[in-house]
Amino acid sequence: MALSEEEHKVLEGIVGPQYITRDPIIMESYCQVWGNKLEFGDKWHRPPAAVLLPGNVEEIQAIVKFCNQAGILFKPFARGFEYVATYLASSRGILLELKRLNRILEIDPKNQHAVVEPFVPVYQLQDAAGKLGFYVGKPGVGYSASCVSLACCHQEMTISQLYTSGYGRNVLGCEWVLPTGDILNLGTANRKGGWFTGDGPGFSLRGILRGRAGANGGHGIITKCSVKLYPWYAKAPSECELKREPGQALSAAQLEKVPDNYWVDVLTFPDTERMLQAARDIGQAEIACLVAPAYMNTGFHEEGNDEQWAKLKESPPDLGKFARMMPVIVNGHSSRELEYRRKAVRAAMEKWGGWLEPEWNTEKVKAQIFQYQMWSTGVPGLRATGDFMLSTQGADGSVEMQLAYRPVEFQALQPFAAAGNVLHPNMGMSYRPMEHFSLGCSGGIATDFDPWDPASLAAGKEYLEIVYDPHGPCRRFGYANRGAMMQVEDVNHIHERWGPIYDRADRWLQKVRNMLDPNRVADWSAYIPPEYQERPDEERHACC
Amino acid sequence: MTWQDFIHDMQRCTRCSYCKYIPWRLIRNFRFSEGCPSAARYHWHAYAAGGKFNLAYSLLQGAIDINDSLLEVVYKCLMDGSCDIACKVQQDLEPLQHMQEFRVECVARGYLLPQHQPYLRSLRAEDNMLLRRREERGYWAEGLEVKRVTSDKAEVVFFAGCRYSYDQDLWPVARAAVHLLQRAGVDVGILGADEACCAGRAYELGYEGELMKFAEHQRDTLATVARTAGVHTLVTACSDCYSTFKVLYDKIGKKSDVEVCHITQYLERLIQEGRLRPRKSLDLNITYHDPCHLGRLGEPWIHWQGREYKPVGTQIWLHDPPKRFRRGTHGVYEPPRNVLKSIPGLELVEMYRTREYAWCCGAGGGVIDAYPDFAQWTAAERLEEAHEVGAEAIVSACPWCKRNFLDTAAITKDRIGIFDLVELVERAVGGSE
Amino acid sequence: MALDDLGRIVGEANFTKNPAALQEYCEGKGGCVPRALVRPASTEEVQRIVEWANDTRALLVPVSSGPPHIHGGSTPSVEGAVVVDLRRMDKVIRVDKNNRVVIVQPGVTFGHLQTELARQGLSAYLPLLPRPTKSVLASVLEREPILMPSVHFDSTDPLLCAEIVFGTGDRMRTGEAAGPDTLEEQWEIGKAQISPFGPTQMDPQRLVSGAQGTIGIVTWVSLKCRQRSDEARAFFLPSEDLDALVELSYHLCRIRYTGTILLLDRVNLARMAQRTPREIHGLQCALPNWVLFVAYEGYGLLPEEKLKYLEEDLRESASSYGLEPVTDLAGLPGEALYRLLLGPSSQPYWKLRSHGGFRDVFFITTQDKTPYFAKRMRKLARRFGFPTQQLGMYMQPVVQGTSCHLEFNLYFDPTDLTGVKRLRRLEAAAVDRLEREGAFFARPYPGWAEAAYRGYPDTAAMQRKVKAIFDPNWVLNPGKLCFPPGSGRQD
Ligand SMILES: Cc1cc2nc3c(=O)[nH]c(=O)nc-3n(C[C@H](O)[C@H](O)[C@H](O)COP(=O)(O)OP(=O)(O)OC[C@H]3O[C@@H](n4cnc5c(N)ncnc54)[C@H](O)[C@@H]3O)c2cc1C
Repeated sequence: MALSEEEHKVLEGIVGPQYITRDPIIMESYCQVWGNKLEFGDKWHRPPAAVLLPGNVEEIQAIVKFCNQAGILFKPFARGFEYVATYLASSRGILLELKRLNRILEIDPKNQHAVVEPFVPVYQLQDAAGKLGFYVGKPGVGYSASCVSLACCHQEMTISQLYTSGYGRNVLGCEWVLPTGDILNLGTANRKGGWFTGDGPGFSLRGILRGRAGANGGHGIITKCSVKLYPWYAKAPSECELKREPGQALSAAQLEKVPDNYWVDVLTFPDTERMLQAARDIGQAEIACLVAPAYMNTGFHEEGNDEQWAKLKESPPDLGKFARMMPVIVNGHSSRELEYRRKAVRAAMEKWGGWLEPEWNTEKVKAQIFQYQMWSTGVPGLRATGDFMLSTQGADGSVEMQLAYRPVEFQALQPFAAAGNVLHPNMGMSYRPMEHFSLGCSGGIATDFDPWDPASLAAGKEYLEIVYDPHGPCRRFGYANRGAMMQVEDVNHIHERWGPIYDRADRWLQKVRNMLDPNRVADWSAYIPPEYQERPDEERHACC
Repeated sequence: MTWQDFIHDMQRCTRCSYCKYIPWRLIRNFRFSEGCPSAARYHWHAYAAGGKFNLAYSLLQGAIDINDSLLEVVYKCLMDGSCDIACKVQQDLEPLQHMQEFRVECVARGYLLPQHQPYLRSLRAEDNMLLRRREERGYWAEGLEVKRVTSDKAEVVFFAGCRYSYDQDLWPVARAAVHLLQRAGVDVGILGADEACCAGRAYELGYEGELMKFAEHQRDTLATVARTAGVHTLVTACSDCYSTFKVLYDKIGKKSDVEVCHITQYLERLIQEGRLRPRKSLDLNITYHDPCHLGRLGEPWIHWQGREYKPVGTQIWLHDPPKRFRRGTHGVYEPPRNVLKSIPGLELVEMYRTREYAWCCGAGGGVIDAYPDFAQWTAAERLEEAHEVGAEAIVSACPWCKRNFLDTAAITKDRIGIFDLVELVERAVGGSE
Repeated sequence: MALDDLGRIVGEANFTKNPAALQEYCEGKGGCVPRALVRPASTEEVQRIVEWANDTRALLVPVSSGPPHIHGGSTPSVEGAVVVDLRRMDKVIRVDKNNRVVIVQPGVTFGHLQTELARQGLSAYLPLLPRPTKSVLASVLEREPILMPSVHFDSTDPLLCAEIVFGTGDRMRTGEAAGPDTLEEQWEIGKAQISPFGPTQMDPQRLVSGAQGTIGIVTWVSLKCRQRSDEARAFFLPSEDLDALVELSYHLCRIRYTGTILLLDRVNLARMAQRTPREIHGLQCALPNWVLFVAYEGYGLLPEEKLKYLEEDLRESASSYGLEPVTDLAGLPGEALYRLLLGPSSQPYWKLRSHGGFRDVFFITTQDKTPYFAKRMRKLARRFGFPTQQLGMYMQPVVQGTSCHLEFNLYFDPTDLTGVKRLRRLEAAAVDRLEREGAFFARPYPGWAEAAYRGYPDTAAMQRKVKAIFDPNWVLNPGKLCFPPGSGRQD
């Protein structure tokens, strides 16, 4: 439903004519994202009634307040790579693209945090912080993801989370325009002493900001956020020279050498169990800044699919082995520390029967691993089918749970993989350990599928149906910690199906939602609806 | 290929928005991280290459029709190909080709941008895109002692192109180019008033027929002068013309047998061979602006015909035969730099956006004619970047860049030096040798 | 339903209205006498008690620690409340050595926990010398700072998962513990209640941390703990220059230097290390004004090399700030102090040793403000005639050094009534002034709440709304935080 002329005028009055559009042509570029095929059966979802580019928090407040008056749904987004970002529950909804809120407001090197606006991408902060000896975690999605949407709004699973944490734990306060238009500053945000904590006074409202996943734009707009920084002992990415041979494509531009205060080892183990045990030992010893079990498939990409394929044919990789390989990166603020940590990694390797494959431990490979694992890079993995990397992201937890979970999900996947309908690049689950393994690790199966290939699409749907079935084989492992992957399954539907076996967590969330947004103007399509809708088909699956 | 043939690209565009920026890992200064002037200036996603895939997909499905608004989105684009390079760092998509075909489709369906029409009429009636009479085409060379390949023998034909032929401010560059060739002892001639537009710009506006027609004309002309005058090489100082002769004519199968060189390539050769000696020190801090049509768009065309397929049991799209994508890698980047480096006293500093991922000057894609304010905005950004790296002057190798920089600097009162590379070589070589 | 129904829920032996038994619970700051005490033994009993309270509109005050109740978070702020004493729930439910996770009920104290963990070669992350009766669960929920900043990633650490009975009587488990199955069944498939997130798009455990029992009653928590090693090194970095110590502390936090890092003044260090007022006085006189204490253990891989490199690094780092680590200070061996820090305080509680009474004033700030606040506090003390030799300071970097817990301790003689009066005025003035100057009272105990919330009306308004969801009848611990007694029910 379009906005009325008057409504449009009011909104235009807030942001100015050049920062609002309702042109149906432009709207078409705000309703197509890579994952839509899974959700809607086509690469298309309902276009917004208008898109606005607010320039500051006051404008955002005014827009939101007007939405409350006029009953217009709204949803903010930052860089817009996440496919839930432009998806609206009603056509009488507007999108707020936050590209004009693009400043790094402060980097406080002493107190190790940065205050950023939503359009600041993680790579920009990595670079700016890197110049001051700091670092922010690297999410798989790559360079462009907004620091704010990672920390507060969507997921924040980072490859380096062994060291740099994630899932919202790095938030040290934020400025939050609530669905009513009022501002809530978490902790010391916007107060005189600085943005150093997001908790209190009293209990922490970060508890309603997000959980394992964020509200995906469903409960207002985060306009500033303070994120924690981690030590960095090398040059900032933009200060490093990337080399390529004459005639090589830009994608080949690579770091030539691991920086001096870092060390990379690529360990290989006889089996997954020993790999994970070694990962846990290294984690618990608090020595590594990155441990990436079974994470070898990232980073080794030729210029294009054809080149990739030729390479695969020329020297077929031992995919089984990739699943047992684990890059480890250690750093040291002193040469002593680096030396100790290097030795300690080797000790863990030996303890669990691991070894170093020379081919995967050359200076060049190590430098490439460093570059791809530590800095935000793109996602060439999306290129295989040009679309979606289907990943179920298994539950989070202990090594033992991961080992128990692995066969269950593999069994679910196996028939589809065997038929070739989903491609599973390394037949391994990859793991991202968290905070020196003190929070366990996240495990995930990354599979490529092709939504434009009917067999592959059908396989994807069936596979998802199995792993997201609250009565299916994955039931005991649960969905709670699958929040991250709420985008491959309709989030509302997940709540509705799984809430009953989760102490009605859905009901609590729904109450929080309705408290925050009494007039129901914040888009809930990837959060929780004010109340569940009748579904035409009770078994409706996101992929239908 | 037609625009519809890019349906897979439309479907597979992930909205990563990499098309809006230079390749991320090469960003050196976030102030200068944007790659697409259109997306940077007009904000909305539709203005980026990814947005154009969306619009095409919607059009294909009948969700929208072509209208003025769509035309505006389509034509407020410089066709500079920055998006194409950035996209291909990750993906196997063809955003630029798609946008080209989309313009062709608009024209084919009769949706013409009114602002472009005078230029098209000029092309059709007067063989140039500068709204001038055909007879005036040779004026630039008046008084220049140079052969006419229509009547004299010459090994090399210097192709001036419309901008140099008609833009009096720029005549000195074209004349200097001829001088330099002559100084080096090159047996050079010109076509003078018999020269016609290459139609590269018309093609960029979507007028495929014009390209075809002028390509044939040029091929015939070159064949004739090759036969009658002994011409074996075409040298042009215009990057647009260069990429049309070198790339577009090849793309449409109308390539001539005559070798095509940009003046920078030719000068590099002459300097290397010792036939030109830039001896005079210029003592200037300069930066070099890669013209899009010489750089990434100057990369030779790669012909490919085949099919897309997925090997059985996999989920990876391949091409049969394997397809090499044009990633801008083989554009003309080093020759101009080598020429500049050969000039004593010149200090060459690179801007943050160079080579494959250089920022456009603003003159491409018909924007300079239809949306001059956008063209100037784009140029102003580039001049600011040049200042930011400490350059006293910006040097390009294309008359369109120079024209747009000059106009912009006049408006913004920017006092930065604006040169064509040829001018600097001429100064360095000195008046009397 | 009558008060006596509670007896039926928990068994008569665990229910009392006897004023003598109730006295213990109102001894904190500004406490009111409760009307009854109930001591549940299980989550189900807690649920039934909360349901009863909702039915009868009774007021409940959950208590997990034994006396003395110091900050007043668990002493009734209103008349007629029922105390829910959770100390009968005192099991260490599980120690998972591989994953370094322990699950404890509210009644488990640090002494008890450390004994259990030691058997498995583990140690808890402790706050600074907690009193022996302190509940581990309560300490964690109160966000008492732990001593090891490098592994303190988030303010809630070491809290992982929790089982909560909300003010409605509904039970919910959080993080990995959420979802189907009993804990035992979860263990069968390798779950370890190690992952703290969610469930889904909220983190309920953050809502009960720092809540002083106003949102839910927590019946168990899982906690991260660490390996322990008998090989430890401990160093004092003494100085008269507080700024230099703060700079070194910043540096150590920034490089994620492992182990214990805390900054004390001599007033506190003397009280921690000695027992009698005389000994304390003696040591206090012999100590330098400020001491950064750094200690670490040889757990993990290659312990000997670890211990060695860490010491060398520490020496090098310290020297660049003009400081030198020493293993003994005024006859006090660093390792002996470190051993003390691995458990609760011995009796008498260290803060009671010198004068028999103390008050704490603490807040969150950044480390660089420590010297300023230290000066400010001394000035205030002087203004109120409070002897500065009885003013202690403790600075604990938290959340990896992004902020710090800054604590001032005012030691006094409770029998000196004018002194007590003065002290109360000083405490109130300190909270008021320091808050205005940027001190963040993240844990606003009774008496501080007004100042603490003064600049945070948005937080208070939102907390009231959250409270209305999880405790709609405001039965839980009325009068705390920004929930003045009786104010909620009309909302
Ligand atoms: C190929 C691929 C791989 C990925 N891998 C990872 C991964 O490894 N780890 C990970 O954490 N994530 C991953 N993601 C998801 C990724 O985190 C999100 O895409 C990320 O947040 C992108 O940032 P963005 O700025 O583009 O977010 P957007 O797409 O702009 O927004 C993401 C969500 O947050 C909401 N939002 C954004 N900004 C605000 C705001 N200021 N206030 C309120 N709500 C807001 C939006 O409404 C939307 O729902 C992946 C995505 C892709 C496409």
